Amino acid sequence: MESLKEERKLLRYTYLLCIVLFLNMYFIGKDSFDNGALIMGAVICLIFAYSHFIIRRFFPDGDKYILLFSNVLAVIGLGMLYRLNSPNALKQLIMYAIGIAIFILVVVLFPSLIKFGKYKYFYMICTIILMALGSLLAKPTYGARNWISIAGFTFQPSEFAKLSLVAYLAAALQNYGRDTQGKSEIIKAKALIEPGIVVMVSLGFMVIQKDLGSALLFFAISITMVYIATSNFKYVLLCLGLFIIGGFISYKLYGHVRVRFMTWSDPWKYATSGGNQVVQSLISIASGHLFGTGVGLGYPKLVPVVDSDFIFAAICEEMGLLMGFAMLILYFLLFYRCMRVPVYSKDNFTRLLAVGYSTMIAAQVLVIVGGVVGAIPLTGITLPLVSYGGSSMIITFFSLGILQKISEDGQSYE
Amino acid sequence: MNDFVNNIKKVMLVFLILFIALISYITYLYMFKSETAVASSYNQRLWAERNKVLRGTIYDKDMTALTKSTRISQTSQKLQYYQGAAFAHTIGYMDPRYGLSGLEKKYDAELMDDGDSSLSKFAFFSKDNEEKVGKGLRTTLDSELQKKAYNLLGNHRGSIVAMNPKTGEILAMVSKPSYDPNYLSRDWKSVNSNKDMPLLNRAVSGLYPPGSTFKTITAASALKNIPNVYNSSINDNGSLVVNGTRLLGDFQGESFGNIGFKSAYMHSSNVFFGSLGLDLGNKELKNTAEAFYFNKHTPTIGLTIENSVFPSYKSNEKGNIAQSAIGQAGVLVTPMEMALVASTVANDGIMMQPMLVKEILSSKGKSLEKLQPKQLGQVMTKENATTMKSLMRSVVSGGTGKGAALSNILVSGKTGTADHVEASKQEAPHAWFTGFAPYDDPQIAIAVIVEEGGQGGQLAATITRELIRTYLK
Repeated sequence: MESLKEERKLLRYTYLLCIVLFLNMYFIGKDSFDNGALIMGAVICLIFAYSHFIIRRFFPDGDKYILLFSNVLAVIGLGMLYRLNSPNALKQLIMYAIGIAIFILVVVLFPSLIKFGKYKYFYMICTIILMALGSLLAKPTYGARNWISIAGFTFQPSEFAKLSLVAYLAAALQNYGRDTQGKSEIIKAKALIEPGIVVMVSLGFMVIQKDLGSALLFFAISITMVYIATSNFKYVLLCLGLFIIGGFISYKLYGHVRVRFMTWSDPWKYATSGGNQVVQSLISIASGHLFGTGVGLGYPKLVPVVDSDFIFAAICEEMGLLMGFAMLILYFLLFYRCMRVPVYSKDNFTRLLAVGYSTMIAAQVLVIVGGVVGAIPLTGITLPLVSYGGSSMIITFFSLGILQKISEDGQSYE
Repeated sequence: MNDFVNNIKKVMLVFLILFIALISYITYLYMFKSETAVASSYNQRLWAERNKVLRGTIYDKDMTALTKSTRISQTSQKLQYYQGAAFAHTIGYMDPRYGLSGLEKKYDAELMDDGDSSLSKFAFFSKDNEEKVGKGLRTTLDSELQKKAYNLLGNHRGSIVAMNPKTGEILAMVSKPSYDPNYLSRDWKSVNSNKDMPLLNRAVSGLYPPGSTFKTITAASALKNIPNVYNSSINDNGSLVVNGTRLLGDFQGESFGNIGFKSAYMHSSNVFFGSLGLDLGNKELKNTAEAFYFNKHTPTIGLTIENSVFPSYKSNEKGNIAQSAIGQAGVLVTPMEMALVASTVANDGIMMQPMLVKEILSSKGKSLEKLQPKQLGQVMTKENATTMKSLMRSVVSGGTGKGAALSNILVSGKTGTADHVEASKQEAPHAWFTGFAPYDDPQIAIAVIVEEGGQGGQLAATITRELIRTYLK
């Protein structure tokens, strides 16, 4: 029961964080004290208390920290969003509630996930369709063609494509080397040709849709899953080589790729055009220093698209660089807990699925935070659990639900 | 999948390294790059911070508002300049992109200061919705005179400075060409690239050869250093020749014959004052010029005056010494400097500190601080100043400055027609007039320069006359 005590402690600190954050928001309300902030904080507390109660009470075997860490991150994100744009924060709160609901439903309703390993071609078709959807239907936003609108509801198909791509790769790679035990490498490698083609097609679509962040993300997920499935480092090198060649070709072929690289190489030179976002984000991060200006006292709104892609800059400015570091450490801890899940799992499909979803979250953090601080070319993807964006929130909680489910199944075998 | 757990560990290690690398990179940015980032011109945080306080209002001497700032949004405000181009250089502008100038710059701290104690920085605990407004400034400007001066210059380039000789209060300060600060961002490109430099405040930063108006200083120096110079006379045959070299000549080939001190000043004899310069020598003349705050910083309230220049010459540079005594060679002055010279003569030899602001007001308009006139020093003796006053009176009554004469007011002054070197072609000379009125009890001292305005006794003198008429009516 040592674990339960630790969980309770962490849970209490999360309440404290939530209360302090929204009390702050209550005081800095524009014209009068902001009662909305108090209500919002209370609702968030209720939601994560409820979710933790359900998981604790009815599913005691799985990993509790996945939910705990995600909730801490979501609280930070909702707090910052409320400060930046309270109507958006309300929408995000609804998405958070839906996300939590999906998380619980996945854990409660899904049968053992091992059975899902059979539907390889279904995942493949889903992946291809979702990847292509952006090219067919999307209207460009922020230069990228990755948002589509159906019945007044806008979402990014590539977000959902992530889920099916991971499922497809897990299904395709689960039997790698089983029937070809002891045979030559070339015969083994044949099993990788089909997944390879699917991944390349997906990456191609992403480049055409100017969604380079997702392309990078898919690549990171695929390469990790291939390595885990094959234990063969050569494939990693091969993939890296192909990726560099592909990157070089798209650099030559597409202006938007070149622009991204140019502004990355010296954002200050392009500060009035393409580099504006990164320059403003760097200024914002630098203005906060280690401890931040205090929530509500900085000027994060001077950074473009600050509530989604650049929310990390806003958090660094107002809550301090140390909060930024703490968030990165939290993300790594979340990744660590997620990567522990497949260790206890016995089935290859669920193992690979867990690895894929864990990598998805960690790689997304690296790509967007790296872009926001100018370490790598900027690509517009969301910071999972924190950025404003419904599809991202739902996708992340869905994958966390799958991980929770796998962890549940894995633990109950023992 | 035999090495599964091992592989997981390796992947985690790779991600751990990536996360650490990312944190290290951010730390590096913070330690070495953050200062330049914060100081960059793309950082609008400073302006956003400034915009928390609505900028204070600048008034003329009769408390008519010249500027007013209104709130646009929480982080922005619009400053209106009610008088537009006529007051542009004196008041200056405030613009997030182009910064500050003029009074807006000099008194930025006051105009931004809402007078709150530091405790109320924790203002989010108290929810009073009252707009914070900066302090106000009451200037010494006479709006009517300023607008008149602006109109009198017409389409000429040039500048006018009018001040109260007894207090040093600036009554009007005009520089042309001008610009409308209300449309600064719209016009910036054309204003900034215009070769006539509308952004330059010629009144305090324009350096011109003073021409014959400088003879006032030469005369003051002679009265001080050469005994009985007032009664001396020379034979002026139209040009000053020393050791066979012609140093200078009278205006348009005139010659005055046997001429005394008074009529040499009245009729602006270059030969007389050139030889006076030689008699005085560079050192003495320079001392007098520096007593008038040449070559050094002039203390002011609300202005930044470019130093006027009086050069040093070796004793064998006779041509330059003689030329400098009539305000040519390397002598350069600001219109403000010449207004100060005229007002010093008018004020019995006491130079007053030029002041543009006379009162600092609270945001509600209550007086917080009255700024007092201050003497910069007794530049010449009272007797010499009285002599100079009568000399300047004689210029208008019977000399080169008749154009400035008024029927009911005794105007005094000195004309100047300053040659200036343009690289390309020979332009018309700059027209100068410096003067004061009334003679018995001076209320206003004026310096006017019209670039390429020809003879000082014409356009510049009539502008002075009209200004005096407006002010003393």
